[in-house]
Amino acid sequence: MGELATEKHVQYILSVEKRKDDFQSVVMEHLRMNGAYWGLTALDILGKLNIVDADEVVSWVMSCQHESGGFAGNVGHDPHILYTLSAVQVLALFDKLDVLDVDKVTNYVVGLQNEDGSFSGDIWGEVDSRFSYIAILCLSLLHQLDKINVEKAVNFVVSCKNMDGGFGCTPGGESHSGQIFCCVGALALTGSLHHVDKDLLGWWLCERQVKSGGLNGRPEKLPDVCYSWWVLSSLIMIDRVHWINKEKLIKFILDCQDTENGGISDRPDDAVDVYHTYFGIAGLSLLEYPSLKAIDPAYALPVDVVNRIRLGKRHAI
Amino acid sequence: MAETENTDFQAKAADLLSQFERILQSDPLIDEIGFVHPSQFVKLNEELGSSKSATSEITGNEISEFWLQDHKLGISTQILHPLYIAARNTFMAATRKYRSSCNQDDQTMAGNSLCGLSNSLNVVESDVMKHSRALLLLSCDFGTAWNSRKFILSKKQNLSIYLDELLLSKLVLSFFPKSEQAWSHRRWVIKLLVEKGHSVEEILKKESELVERIAEMSKMNYRAWNHRHWLVSYMSREQVLYELNETRKWAALHVADNCCFHYRRRLLLIILAESSCAEINSSLTLRIYQVWKEELDWDEMLIKRYIGREALWIHRRFLSVCWMRHFTTDHKKFNKEGGIKLDFPFFIENELNLVNSCSFISNEDFEDFQAQATCSGAYLLWLIKNCPNLKVDDKLRTYNLNTLLKKACPERYLLWDSLTDSIESSD
Repeated sequence: MGELATEKHVQYILSVEKRKDDFQSVVMEHLRMNGAYWGLTALDILGKLNIVDADEVVSWVMSCQHESGGFAGNVGHDPHILYTLSAVQVLALFDKLDVLDVDKVTNYVVGLQNEDGSFSGDIWGEVDSRFSYIAILCLSLLHQLDKINVEKAVNFVVSCKNMDGGFGCTPGGESHSGQIFCCVGALALTGSLHHVDKDLLGWWLCERQVKSGGLNGRPEKLPDVCYSWWVLSSLIMIDRVHWINKEKLIKFILDCQDTENGGISDRPDDAVDVYHTYFGIAGLSLLEYPSLKAIDPAYALPVDVVNRIRLGKRHAI
Repeated sequence: MAETENTDFQAKAADLLSQFERILQSDPLIDEIGFVHPSQFVKLNEELGSSKSATSEITGNEISEFWLQDHKLGISTQILHPLYIAARNTFMAATRKYRSSCNQDDQTMAGNSLCGLSNSLNVVESDVMKHSRALLLLSCDFGTAWNSRKFILSKKQNLSIYLDELLLSKLVLSFFPKSEQAWSHRRWVIKLLVEKGHSVEEILKKESELVERIAEMSKMNYRAWNHRHWLVSYMSREQVLYELNETRKWAALHVADNCCFHYRRRLLLIILAESSCAEINSSLTLRIYQVWKEELDWDEMLIKRYIGREALWIHRRFLSVCWMRHFTTDHKKFNKEGGIKLDFPFFIENELNLVNSCSFISNEDFEDFQAQATCSGAYLLWLIKNCPNLKVDDKLRTYNLNTLLKKACPERYLLWDSLTDSIESSD
């Protein structure tokens, strides 16, 4: 089995940020804030966040904030809850949450909760259980969870549960590993995991492991490195991670590396990108791969960052 | 950025954008779009027996970077970068101008109107619509561009503008079938159309057709099927039954597409929920019973025909649990009505026979048979787990089942051990 090409991945992540000379590199600019979160969290897990100029990143993040309090995916774009969470997470990585006007961000998120407890992604009203997780996590990081109706929020997430134990994006929607991560994460952060049938969901999640050792997101799909994160973190939160074959999964992730130029792809020999690079590294961290920082499965941030925030709350009290 | 330093690049990019927008304007019926390597243009023209596509007349260029025929538009992959940069910059400038004009207009309105300003607002408004359209055909999830259109549309009353918007979203989906924003925009438009009194039946019919066409070219497309799920809330019981009937053939032709089977589960649950409100011997309850029975028989037929398809077995897990929970408890009442054989032992016997016939593997078997054995073994585990009263042969229950699963699917040995352990400990 090969080893994790840490140095190459660090160089790859740094190079992604600089590349702007072809269509593929500019066409994703509307979600640059997500890209920043993926790349920077990966660097932090690899223990290399210090090579980034924190002030530069923080000032760019803040230039994406709107009057409404929400953050956009890039300067001049419209705000969305997806990018608002990434912005808060990036600031948390650098221990710079104090630059935020907490009330302003909180009001933005609180304003997106609907009567039934669900959350819209922005003012245009699309509802998705992912947005529930994002809202709950965002407010947890700011110690403002009490500002929303948590009970209703939890009820909505629970209403997205299917008979197979999984969760979909809305009530009745098909179970999907990504949505399951969001729903289980939302329930974990609100202390509501008793709503999950752990054996049933654990079963569904473990059936995502295919012959190659990789995990897929839904039945009959091909394995993909990103599900190493979505499935594993869910299994950890419901305490069923010992049901999965960890060695084979580690091998699958390592097989998806570009050992020459750095970066990780969805499947072996495909083209790499920063999204899969992050989820591969985060997956390995959950699998306790040597010399990686531990990552928290619900907060999707390094454990030391989460502890710092929790400690901050204690001091504030 | 390099692109702003290079005026040649900018001039070329602006020219490409205006060509692109002229083409879009010249043919409002374009229904398919794609990025094509320029070498393919020659081939496409050869197939047509012509040396040039319709674009040369529109753009005035003999050799074009675009190809248009029969409402299909190809864009050369070699110009995507400059074209995108121009589309993004032009759109962002237009939308900034529009938003500041709106603010200004609001202020002037308050101080007693100036139609000059409103006219200029109309010009900027149509600029935003034009440029956002071009941009979205290049970058389908550029949320700000979709939003700018919503902002303008929300001030309009004319239904035809909303219908045009469905066409744009459809065009984007023809090339980007998983575009979350394009699907979401569609729902936003449909909500408004319904509010404004547009026929729900017509929308449902067209949307179902669209999802099916897109699901055909983009397998197991979660976003597409999610859109169809969303439409269910607008359906009457007749429409739910109609959809159930309509998707049956498609599902049988796409037995690995769990999305379509899940959609059927959703429809079945709606029907089932209605039955719990109905009188037990009513014709509705009987009809539901028949629908369920048909679904079980149909699924069994597919399982035997298409070996090792996970989606079919997952469907069966759902069908059996509902069947056991819902129908077998009331079987005496059902039996009175029309000779339906509904007793629990009969049902279980049939399922065990199915599992037995699917769980045989020899060492030379192909992967499909291994998958079939895995699925059937896991299905039996599922029945045992979900039905504590189930009295299956002791041998089958524990040792044999575990051995079968480990032989058929050794990589999941930890899962099989944990599940059989938890069953044994609950005995």
